[in-house]
Amino acid sequence: MKKFTRLSMLLALSVALNVIEASLPLFNGYIPGLKLGLANIVTLFIIYQFSLKDAFYVGILRVFLVGILRTGLFSTTFFFSLSGVIFSIICMYLAKNFLKLSIVGVSIVGSIAHSTGQVLTSILLLQMSSMIYYLPWLLLFSIPTGVLVGIICKQLIKFYDEVLSFE
Amino acid sequence: MNKNDIKLVVIVLIVIILLFSLTLFRKKANIANVYYENELILEIDLSINKTYEVDGYNGKVKIEVLNNQIRVVEENSPYHLCSKQGFVSKSGESIICLPNKIIIELPSDELDAEVS
Repeated sequence: MKKFTRLSMLLALSVALNVIEASLPLFNGYIPGLKLGLANIVTLFIIYQFSLKDAFYVGILRVFLVGILRTGLFSTTFFFSLSGVIFSIICMYLAKNFLKLSIVGVSIVGSIAHSTGQVLTSILLLQMSSMIYYLPWLLLFSIPTGVLVGIICKQLIKFYDEVLSFE
Repeated sequence: MNKNDIKLVVIVLIVIILLFSLTLFRKKANIANVYYENELILEIDLSINKTYEVDGYNGKVKIEVLNNQIRVVEENSPYHLCSKQGFVSKSGESIICLPNKIIIELPSDELDAEVS
């Protein structure tokens, strides 16, 4: 398979994961903004298997597609997602290359960066400095979700390598 | 998971505890400002127990003050996030109801203290 085809399939997968997780609100929506971050599996996978550039392409296109499908283009949610994705990709890339972390650790970094990026955007964009008090809640949950995403991604890479070896 | 991952988790937990302690040391607020589309529409004295009604984007938003605490009782929105949030009472806290374009802010009086 060509790289372009692979990346398109991964993009479709990340949009699908995003829609699926939107239908599974954690804690019945009592903590708004809290989600599993399943789409981050794809971003993490691309950082490991492809390049930083490809991760940016797929991540940003995903935000646009989800914006068109679900949340609305250029809405508040859209900018939250966009800043979260960009910030988490940069941090995951740096963590992967400069810190001696396993894929699970890199995933936690991504999850934390996503929450932090969103909270920072809400502080800068909406001038809501009180959002800083909301950050510890998001950070607390980003550890278990980060671990989950990291473990799934690790298995995915293993599986991907096995399948590729048959080609 | 390796040793560095554990270190990362420990550092994050410490940061979380520090951030939570910020919340604990906040003072109780005396007033609440209600904004509609970033425009101040109502100033509420938190020492008086009373129910207020303001016009939101999707209809009436009912706000209740009880024992120096404030909450949204009733509003029309898809997820009812702001009424689920319950009471807030500390300065710096806020209730945000995006579908109704209503923001209730409990201002921190640190600035006033500096002026006087």
